[in-house]
Amino acid sequence: MKILRTIATTAALLAAMSLTALAAPKSIKVATDATWPPMEMVDTNKKIVGFDIDFLNAVAKEAGLKVEFKNTAWDGIFAGLESDRFDAIISSVTITEERKKKYDFSDPYIQIGQILVVPKADAHSKKISDLKGKKLGAQIGTTGAFEIKKNDGVELKTYDEIGLAFEDMAAGRISGVVCDEPTAAHFALQKKEYAAKFKIVGDAFTHEGYGITVKKGNTALVAQLNKGIKAVKAKKIDEQLRKKWLR
Amino acid sequence: MKQDTTPYKPIDVGDGAAIPHRSDAGLFTAWRIAFFGALAVSLYLVLSKPDPYLAIFKFVPDGILVTFKVTIGSILLAIVIGLIAGLGRISTNRFINGAASLYVEVIRGIPLLVQIFYIYYALGRFVKIPDIYSAIIAMAVCYGAYMGEVFRAGIQSIPKGQMEAALSLGMSRSQAMRQVILPQAFKVVLPPIGNEFIALLKDSSLVSIIAVADLLRRGREYASETFSYFETYTVIGLIYLILTLFFSKLISMMEERLNDGR
Repeated sequence: MKILRTIATTAALLAAMSLTALAAPKSIKVATDATWPPMEMVDTNKKIVGFDIDFLNAVAKEAGLKVEFKNTAWDGIFAGLESDRFDAIISSVTITEERKKKYDFSDPYIQIGQILVVPKADAHSKKISDLKGKKLGAQIGTTGAFEIKKNDGVELKTYDEIGLAFEDMAAGRISGVVCDEPTAAHFALQKKEYAAKFKIVGDAFTHEGYGITVKKGNTALVAQLNKGIKAVKAKKIDEQLRKKWLR
Repeated sequence: MKQDTTPYKPIDVGDGAAIPHRSDAGLFTAWRIAFFGALAVSLYLVLSKPDPYLAIFKFVPDGILVTFKVTIGSILLAIVIGLIAGLGRISTNRFINGAASLYVEVIRGIPLLVQIFYIYYALGRFVKIPDIYSAIIAMAVCYGAYMGEVFRAGIQSIPKGQMEAALSLGMSRSQAMRQVILPQAFKVVLPPIGNEFIALLKDSSLVSIIAVADLLRRGREYASETFSYFETYTVIGLIYLILTLFFSKLISMMEERLNDGR
């Protein structure tokens, strides 16, 4: 009798487990360069947090996906996608023509622009071209770096992390930093040490849409993500997240 | 049966690049294969696939120049620091000896990458110096410690009798050091300095972390814009290989001439 009961409970357990396995959402690995506050960063508990993280979690919930985040250095994040180290990137990736040739993107999920941050002592500079003959910093391979490069006579310095660029500007080695507006706001207005030294000048001078990046040809995942993004926007979750993370 | 009284012999292996010597036939052939092979592969890639290889080769030359500047600047400064540290290490003055030994121990115990970060941002707090000079200072402070040990060993390798003879001729200690010991020690330390130079050339790629636009950073910039990571790092690796092999050959030739003059 006892044996029969054991068999019965085991069978029941196994059945339950296989059922949950069937219902369990598909798991995807997503890379993010968590050095780009407030979009993605590592908090004091060593957890990856930020707008993008919350947003993708919401999207995944709507699309029936399970997300596992991997903190990955920006320089090489696309190479990792190509070599299948992860399935997608959510890391404030602007959808550009060049990137579209190599990778597939979800629909844009937020509109952002590039902005210039200069030391408070600089009373004249309003845009990049005002800083001819000076050094400007940006993170390597970002649209901010591409914008600086468009200007002749301005020297571009590329950094592995945007925080290093701000630290270099604090040390007086560069005359300005160009990056995404929310990140600029985070460093220039929220970090106490920098708030006294830096100011944001002018308005954002580009209009860029962030997209979730996937490997070229992974249309199934793009469709799933787009479905999720639509649902999140319909429920206005993105607006709540904006209030939570962006000012 | 005779017993060997020495339980082991210290092995003679440097940590720097293998500098080919004519007597080492295997390595000498390997040098030729590697050097001319790297040149041939570079040429083949540029001719057969100009896009992106020619573009990469065109993109990085100013980075090579910065790599040179950093390497040469650091090695010169490191030799000066190393000489002072080396003399300090053999000094009979307890304070000087302690200070030099502390410097060597502390620096050798911290990874170079950490030192570069530290010196770069620490210096930035106090003085405004261009990034390339902070990079040079960081590299030189690190290599100065290793160089100090090279100089110490070099000076100690000169037989004691030399110093005694110089002193008995009525020279002062510092005079004897300058005119008798150091000239001979320089000859001894040249090969290890050559090794350090090659090692420094390779380690100079670490300065790209503090946004110095050296060869590696130029490559990374190219890759980050075009996404051709594989092709870019192939080229960067080839260029470093050609440079280190070229210089190791040059150093081994210098060494040979020096030995001929003996």
